[in-house]
Parts: sequence; structure tokens; C-alpha cells
Amino acid sequence: MTAAARLLRLELRNNVMLWLLPLAALLFWFVTFRPGMAYPPMWNLRATAMQTSSLAVFVPLVVGAAAWSGSREGRHGSVELVAGSARSRWARQTGSWAATTCWAIVAYLGCVGVLYAVTAGEGAWGGPLWWPAGVGAASLPAFSALGFTAGALRPSRFTPPVIAIGAFLGLEISANFIQGYGSFWQVSPVVANPWSLGADEGIATFYRYLPDLAIAQILFLSGLTAAQLGLLGLPAGAGGSWLRRSATAVTVAGLLGAGAGVALAGTGHLDEHGMIAIPVLHNGAYDRPAAYTPVCSQSAIPVCVHPAYRRYLPAMVDGFAPVLAEVAGLPGAPVRVNQVAAAYEPGSKNEVRIGRAGAAVSGTPPVFNVVLPTQEAHQMSTEELAAILRAGMARDLVQNLTGGGRGAGDAQQAVTEALAHTSTLPPGSPVAEAARRFAALPAATRRAWLVAHLPALRAGQLTLARLP
Amino acid sequence: MTALSGRVRLVTLHLASRRVPLAVVVLLACAAVLRIALHRSWDAYGALQLPLFVETGCAVVIAATTASPFGDPERATGRWLPFLRLGSALALTAIAAGALAAFTAGTPLAGGTLGALRNTAGSTGIGLLCAVAFGGALAWTGPTAYLVASIYALYTQWHGPALTTPWLWPARPSSDVEAAWCAGLVFVAGAVLVMVRGSRDTATRA
Amino acid sequence: MNVETSELTRRFGRTQAVAGVSLEIGTGVFGLLGPNGAGKTSLLRMMATVVPPSSGRIRLLGLDPAAYGPRRRIRRRLGYVPQNLGFYPRFTVVEFVEYFALLKEVPAARVPQAVAAAVERVGLGDKAKAKLRTLSGGMLRRVGIAQAIVNEPDLLLLDEPTAGLDPEQRVAFRALLRDLGARSTVVVSTHLVEDVGAACTRVALMDQGKIAFDGTPDELTARGAGTSAAGDAPLERGYSAVLAQVRS
Repeated sequence: MTAAARLLRLELRNNVMLWLLPLAALLFWFVTFRPGMAYPPMWNLRATAMQTSSLAVFVPLVVGAAAWSGSREGRHGSVELVAGSARSRWARQTGSWAATTCWAIVAYLGCVGVLYAVTAGEGAWGGPLWWPAGVGAASLPAFSALGFTAGALRPSRFTPPVIAIGAFLGLEISANFIQGYGSFWQVSPVVANPWSLGADEGIATFYRYLPDLAIAQILFLSGLTAAQLGLLGLPAGAGGSWLRRSATAVTVAGLLGAGAGVALAGTGHLDEHGMIAIPVLHNGAYDRPAAYTPVCSQSAIPVCVHPAYRRYLPAMVDGFAPVLAEVAGLPGAPVRVNQVAAAYEPGSKNEVRIGRAGAAVSGTPPVFNVVLPTQEAHQMSTEELAAILRAGMARDLVQNLTGGGRGAGDAQQAVTEALAHTSTLPPGSPVAEAARRFAALPAATRRAWLVAHLPALRAGQLTLARLP
Repeated sequence: MTALSGRVRLVTLHLASRRVPLAVVVLLACAAVLRIALHRSWDAYGALQLPLFVETGCAVVIAATTASPFGDPERATGRWLPFLRLGSALALTAIAAGALAAFTAGTPLAGGTLGALRNTAGSTGIGLLCAVAFGGALAWTGPTAYLVASIYALYTQWHGPALTTPWLWPARPSSDVEAAWCAGLVFVAGAVLVMVRGSRDTATRA
Repeated sequence: MNVETSELTRRFGRTQAVAGVSLEIGTGVFGLLGPNGAGKTSLLRMMATVVPPSSGRIRLLGLDPAAYGPRRRIRRRLGYVPQNLGFYPRFTVVEFVEYFALLKEVPAARVPQAVAAAVERVGLGDKAKAKLRTLSGGMLRRVGIAQAIVNEPDLLLLDEPTAGLDPEQRVAFRALLRDLGARSTVVVSTHLVEDVGAACTRVALMDQGKIAFDGTPDELTARGAGTSAAGDAPLERGYSAVLAQVRS
């Protein structure tokens, strides 16, 4: 074992971060794991929520512990004692910082490992998202270096608590400064998604997770780490002239890297798949849809979803079932209901507008395309989802078949209302009466009439009087 | 030296040994930072978070003053030490609460002065308990961990299910009596324990 | 008797630091010898009322330190210098000693004189206004002794008090011990047998938490006579002989 490894082992055995690990684990469970498990088992939700919340757990602890370690020589009054040793002060300090950082990273990766293992055990589709975990892991050396530098430069009983709370404040408040896409503050490691979206089901399923912002953040954090560690090597007592020149180079390189990360984050914009794209870093391969085999129901018209959303399939079938039974086999009726990717675009007030990419009906034979409400950053139960589908999308499907959308004729409205089993028409009106009559017809009679008249109805050629 | 001047001298020396004058400066600086920050307009979540950070900052500074540089010889002295410990903690808490109230007067402080007092006292109580358990130097860990949990509890007020236990008092309105009791109880427990036992003397960890 | 202990024990977790010590100590300088880890410091800390015994009985200055009131009265008449004395580096020598005088409830009117006298007795009169951070290790040790004697204690407990003192200071310190021992009980824990020989009227040797020997320095010296026990001085040979006998 080399001397450096022995030194690190000694530091690891005696590092205060080791004693804070149970506290970190407890907080991770409370703030990250427990809420994460409340999300459906989807990698995109759990990984991005984990990136944001786990930093809130680890950053204040690692900063405080590092400040405590950094102030060690000052607190013990052993500055002169160790100054007389052959090993440079910078090497000693780096060893102590590395020990604090190692424990923090080990704990962080352990916690993430548990979260990911449980998510995988729940059958989440696809694979773990490593970029959010990478940003979290890269944050720890940077924040550890911040605390360590503060402790080394200002050894006092107040330094660890004040710097720990201050760093935590800076981290949490940083997201408040993002006032739109193109903000430099997107470099903050708590930003995993577009700033105005929370954990969102719609990203990173139909398309791969876009690592552009994560790369800029890791560049920034690595640069920050290097600059701060380099800073410790600059004072006269840190080591020999060669070491101090190297420390200067490391500091400059770190500052340049951090600056580059900030600049890159400032060019980040919302892409149509709901993630932040940075033109300089962007790889076109990520714009191609990810391959998947849809999961389909055995209904008269199959309802197909992305396998990541398979738990919603029963609710979708439930929501569409009454309508599908009515329209199956009719001329122009869709042969499949298909879940598609959501499309994202920035709104005029910097909000995100989420909708369906492409037309509602596409292809020949026609396929009815839907975007689930849960893809639009709305969390809901399967019962709520079925009710929304029944009242909204199932009716859309019928409207596409009957031409019963905006500007539709009375006959189209009446048939749409009857087939969709909805009650949107003014009670007692002639249209509502016609809808009621049509709905009351025997299914075979209604179906025979639709087979004969649906093209004319869709073309708007039928009047209310022509309805049976 | 008269009896009175002797007591004043004792208090002065005790406070100096715990770096209380510097702590007062830091507490005033915390309040000033909050005052400056409140000039900016924050979203609702940020406006609630910000005072909580500053209040916890005050609490960890107060908890850090409990560490004694003297150890056993000081413990083996007369009756004044417990009262000095208690007085120091109470005075610093009062200074922190007073400074926060004075510096934020006329600003849109989320939770108001009562909320600031409750949160500062509660976090200080946690800090004092941690000082007794782990030593003054590591007393910051408790209030900091509690801050993490509180920030999350505040977050759940927007993104449910909301955490509503009064033991997470920062997430409750300042008028909430149960939350005030919980914070007060923790503060009293911390103050009494630090008075009786003092902050733990630990073999300083590396 | 100023110190009375009976079957006194103290455990720290699984470690038995003191294992049934019974002692009666009156006025004079009492030396506590023993190898590292023998339990000397734990015994001294119990006598200083900073840790309670795990079992057994202890009475100090005729009082039971378990109850608050008597403990307070004991502490007013107690002086204690631990092995590792903490300092606040920004205090001056006078401020440090004055702080402890006030904590020990020395009447306020007497404090300035008591502080000045204590500082003079340890030979730091010319350094009275110096900050502690500017003092050498030996001087800091003397400051620690000054705080212990500032209240003219009836029971003075000293843990390795001569560590870090130069020969001249040690000679002066032994004289101080003899002086203090003339009217109060002084318990000195030390590794340095020559300190015991020069200053103590009675000595106990501890090993593995127990008293292995209790007698005068001359009696300890006699235990080594005619044996092949290791040591450069007669008292050292007595020390080694007792330990060898206990361990055999």
C-alpha cells in the first residue's frame, strides 16, 4: 500500500462524515426515498426527483463535515506541528478532503442504489437514468471542497455551521433565480428538469434522457472542485514552488471549466421532448425516438401504451371501453388507440405548454393518438385517469369519427353525445332530445344506421331530422 | 472588586470564553442578510424558505457557543456555571429573535415575527439538545438536519400529501398553537439540559 | 479524612477503569503512581466530582458529592488540574485564573489578591498580562496549577502536574506541593517517581484499576531492596518490584 493510500485510510477511519452517515440515511429516507416511492415506478420520475431532493440531504451535511475537517489543524493548534512534516500542507489537506468526500459519495451512491434497486424491483420499464445520479455525485466533491476551503481558511467554531447553512441556502435558493430558459442559473445541480416543471412523466420515455444540461452541470461542478482545491495550494505555506505553480494551473483550469459550464447552461433551451437542450453539446441521436414494443389491450379496438405506462392500460381500456364498443368496425373508425409522446414548447410567460405531437388521427388505416394527462405533468390516480379519459379523450375519438368537433352540425353533435355517453348538450333542447333518442336505440339498430350514414354524417350532410 | 462587579466580571469572562461577542455579530449579520434579501421579490416557496434558513443559521450559531474550552476543571467549580450556560443561551436566543424582528420590521416576512420567534427558539432547542448529546462543536448537525426536513415539509404544502405534524413547526402557520407548544417544549428541554449538563466534552473527532 | 473511598469502581462501557478502590487520605501530599491505563486519572476525576462512580462510596471533605448541595460545597474547596487542560487562547493569564476564581465563588473582594497570589506562586508574575496563546507548554501548565490553587483549596487534585516543566520549575513545584500539603490534602497522579520521593508523604500504586500498594515512599523503596527489579533509583526499583509481584 502506498503512503498516500495509507494516509487516506487513516483519514477515512477518523473522518467526521462517517458519524453523520446514519443521519444522512435517515434524511434520505424521509426527504427522497419515501416521496420517491409515492411516484409510479418510472425511472424519469424517480431519478429526476432524486437528483433534486437528495442534494438537499447531502449538501449541508457534507459541507459542514468538510469545514470541520478543514479546520482541524487550526482547531487543534497543530499547524506548526504538521508544518514540520515532509509532506506538503496541500497534500495533507487533499487527503482529509478526499476522505470526507469519499464517505459522502459512498453514502450517496448507496442511497441511490437502494432507490434504483427498489424501482427496478417494481418493474420499471427501461434502465436507470445515470445522468441525474452523476450530477448528484459530482456535486458532493464541489460542496465538500467549499466547506473544506472555508474551514481551512477560517478555522472557528462558527465556520462549519454557518457555511453548512449558507451552502444549503445557496443551493435551494438558486432555482428561484431562474426566470426563463437561457438562464445561467440552470447550472445549479438541483435543476434536473425544465425549471417550471416538477417531476414529469412525459420526459425520457419516448426519447432518451437528454444529458446536455447534466454535462454542463458536471463540467461546472468539476471546475468548481478543481478551483477550490487549487486555491488551497496557493498560499506560501502550502508546498514548494512546483506545487504552487501546479495549484495555480489547477485553479485557473477549474475556473475556466466552471465558467464554461455556466456559459453552456445559459444557452440551454426547452426542447420539444421536455428536456433542456444545449446546442453546443447536443447530439442529434437523442432526437430519434427510442425503440419500444407497445403494450396493447385485447379489446375490439386495441388500446396501446408505451411499456413504461403499462400500469395505466386498464384505466385506459376502462375509459375508452364504452366508446370503443360503439365504434369498432364502423367505416373510418380507428383500428387502434395509441399513446404518443407529448410535445413541449415554452409559453409566452415562460411556462411550459404540453400537448400532443402531430394529429389526433394518423395513418391508413387510421390510428387514434393520445397523450395521457399524466404525461402533462399531472399526477393522478388510475380512477381519476379513467374518468378523464371517458369524459375527454373518448369523446374526442367519437368527434373525429362523426365530425362532431367545433362548428359541428346538430346531427353530428347529437350522435357524438350519444356514442360518447356524455351530457354536454342543453337539457331539453332538440339536439339533446335527438341524442337521447339515438342512444336509446337498440345497439344493432344504431350500428346499422351508423354503417349506412356515417360518411354522410361526417361530411355534415345530415340534419337532425334524418336521425332515427 | 465588589460582589456585583465580581459577577459582572464572571459573566463577561464566561461569555468571552464561548466567543459570544462574535456570535452576536454573526446573529446581527444573519438578520441583516435577511433584511437585504427581503427587498427582492420571492415566489411563495422562496419567501417561506428564506427566513427559515436565517432562523436556523441563528440557532446553529447559538448552539456553537455552548462548547467549553476548559473541560473538567470548569465543571469542578461552584454553582454559577449552570446559570451562566442558561443565561448565555437565553440571551443569545433573545438577541437573535429581537434582531430578526427589528431588522425585518416593515418587510413581508413570511410567518411574521411570531413565526420567526417560534422557529428560532425551536431550532435553538434542537441545537442545545445536540450540544448536550454530541458536544457544542457538532451541535449544528441537529438543527441542520431539522432544516432539511422542514424545507421538505414546506414543499409538501404545495405538492401534497402535506406533512402536518406540529413537530415540523416551520410548515405550520405562525398562529398554530400546537406547533408553538412543540417548538417551545424543545427549546425549554434544550435550555434546561444545557444548563444542567452543559455541552458534552468530546475527544475532538478528526 | 478529606478523601474516603470504599470499594469504588468506575466503568466506561466494557472497560473497568477503577475496580474497587478503598482509600482514606488526610492532610499531606499523596502520590498516585502506576503505569499507563492503571486507572489513576479515572480515580482522580471521581475525586474531582466530574464523573460519578459506577459503584462504591466516596466522601470528600467529609461530604457526599452525590447530592447537589454538598457537591457545591466541596467544589468551593477543590482545586483540580487535569492531564489535558483546556485553554481559551485569547484570555490573559490573569483573566484565566480570575475566571476560575469567580466560578469557585471566591468572594469578589478577595479575587484580585487571590489571583495575583496564585499567579505569583507559580512564578508567572511577569507574564500576568500575556495572552495564553503566547505562552510555552510549561507556562501553560503553571497557569493550570494557578487556577487550581486560586481558591486555596482544602483538596487539590493534580494529574501529571509536572509534565512539561523544566527541572528548575519542577523543584519549585515540589516545594509548592509540600507547602500546600502542610494544610490541605494534595493528591498527585504522576509517572515520575522522583516527584513522589521528593514531595509525597504517602504513596499508592495502582495497577489494572486496583491499589497494588499503599504506604510511605520509604516503604515502597524497601519493597525493591534486594530484588532484581528494574530501575535506576531505589524508589523505581520498589515500583517495579510491586508491579512484578502483583502481575506474577
